Amino acid sequence: MTTISKHSASFRDPSGYVFLDDGVIKRTINPIYFKQYEALNTSGFFKALFDNKLLVAHKEVSATAEKIIIQPEHIPFITYPYEWSFNQYKEAALLTLKLQKYALEHGFSLKDASAFNVAFYKGKAIFIDTLSFDFYVEDSPWRGYKQFISHFLGPLVLSHYHGAQSIKLISNFIDGIPIKMLASMLPFKTKLNPFLYTNIHLLAKFEDKHSQDYKGESKASILSKKAQLNIVQSLYDYIKNLTLKEHSEWGDYYDKTNYSASAFIKKATIINQWIDTLKTNTIIDIGGNDGTFVRKIERQLQQALVCDIDNNAVDFNFKTIKENKETYMTPFVLDVLNPSASIGFNNTERLSFLNRIQAFAPEATLALAVIHHMSLSGNVSFKMSAQFFESFSKYLIIEFPKREDSWVQRLLDSKTDFKDYFDFYNISNFEKEYSSYFDIIEKLAIQDTHRVLYLMKVK
Amino acid sequence: MYSLYFDPGLGAMIIQSIVAAVAAILLFSKNIMYKVKVFLGMDKKENDDLFDDINVKDSDTDKTSK
Repeated sequence: MTTISKHSASFRDPSGYVFLDDGVIKRTINPIYFKQYEALNTSGFFKALFDNKLLVAHKEVSATAEKIIIQPEHIPFITYPYEWSFNQYKEAALLTLKLQKYALEHGFSLKDASAFNVAFYKGKAIFIDTLSFDFYVEDSPWRGYKQFISHFLGPLVLSHYHGAQSIKLISNFIDGIPIKMLASMLPFKTKLNPFLYTNIHLLAKFEDKHSQDYKGESKASILSKKAQLNIVQSLYDYIKNLTLKEHSEWGDYYDKTNYSASAFIKKATIINQWIDTLKTNTIIDIGGNDGTFVRKIERQLQQALVCDIDNNAVDFNFKTIKENKETYMTPFVLDVLNPSASIGFNNTERLSFLNRIQAFAPEATLALAVIHHMSLSGNVSFKMSAQFFESFSKYLIIEFPKREDSWVQRLLDSKTDFKDYFDFYNISNFEKEYSSYFDIIEKLAIQDTHRVLYLMKVK
Repeated sequence: MYSLYFDPGLGAMIIQSIVAAVAAILLFSKNIMYKVKVFLGMDKKENDDLFDDINVKDSDTDKTSK
């Protein structure tokens, strides 16, 4: 028996839809899109994008007069725009513009410019909405322009002025940041910048002015292809040069840790041995910072997810991945105390972190130097964190900093009068609570530190 | 031709000619500045270029249209 279910996020575009066929992602193309699909195929447009790894590759499974079915390459773990670091967001924006330019030059155009059309795969951004390309109509403006501004330029410019936290806004505005609100959030000086003035402030005014036109009889606007290419090019140039004002200090994060170089090596060696013994292929490192410990693993991993609450750390990891051309690591931003929720229509359009990680089911989870933050900063009990870790992977490698550890001391001191409440934070309570959910396979103290590493297996 | 499954924003459609005109001026002046800098030997190479330029490399098999 096969089970076929339409993907809950695939309903907006009538050209086709994504469905799950026995767990395999496939895409149905409706007759309304046959002409476009044929043209994209025969002109070599798809092939050029596949060869350049800009669009997810697919193969045709079946073709009838009613529907064509294609099967795209499997992307093991989808991250959403609100989980991207600043430079990941930039790369997704630049990819969209690059595709629009290439499309225009070959007689096509992107009919939308949603940030959710992009995923990260093998170390780089890749476009995943195969049916977004349509025929270019001579002298017509770009239909995806406004969407591009609200989905891409908006969050990036806000990040530049207000910090990378602004990227999280897109989780509340699934259709992009409202242009008027975006304009109101930018400092006055942006009105003096001709690029930002026209693309954001003036756009907000125009949208406001024309929002009452329900008759749809306002004159059809005309824009030459050359003019549209100029818009695309200027957006590309601006975004490419956009930087964060806040300084990324994660490059030297490990210089500031409270243990010595030898303890660091010791820790890496233990993790390496355990991963090797388990013959692990897929892992997630929660609180994985810039991916340092994952890179120390010698075993060839198929897929490593590395998440951290800090956008800068994730960004640093992403840059390293690009420089080293690593293909097995997927970095993303995640607050373990508030992981991404399920959002959109019926709460099923964009899946929660837990939904996705349980489906991905990494063989092992690394939780290094994160339990004291969960317990002491987040007031999450050992029982609650054990239940969390237990829900998505079979093995858990967890580091427990004892009360004597200077980081733990610092966190406890910051609690002042409330400090007694955290008496539960000790190694025997930790072992007792975790033992309800896990078997402790091995336990090793990291020399010269007040930290202990555990290898556990779900009961 | 286009499936109208989302609102592209009427204002956003109309404004594009203005945006394009400003973009053209910016691109033109940037180009002039670049040429002046190269002429004066002030062109500094961006050494840590994380991202490529906008153009997609055509694969060998695809020489169909231009």
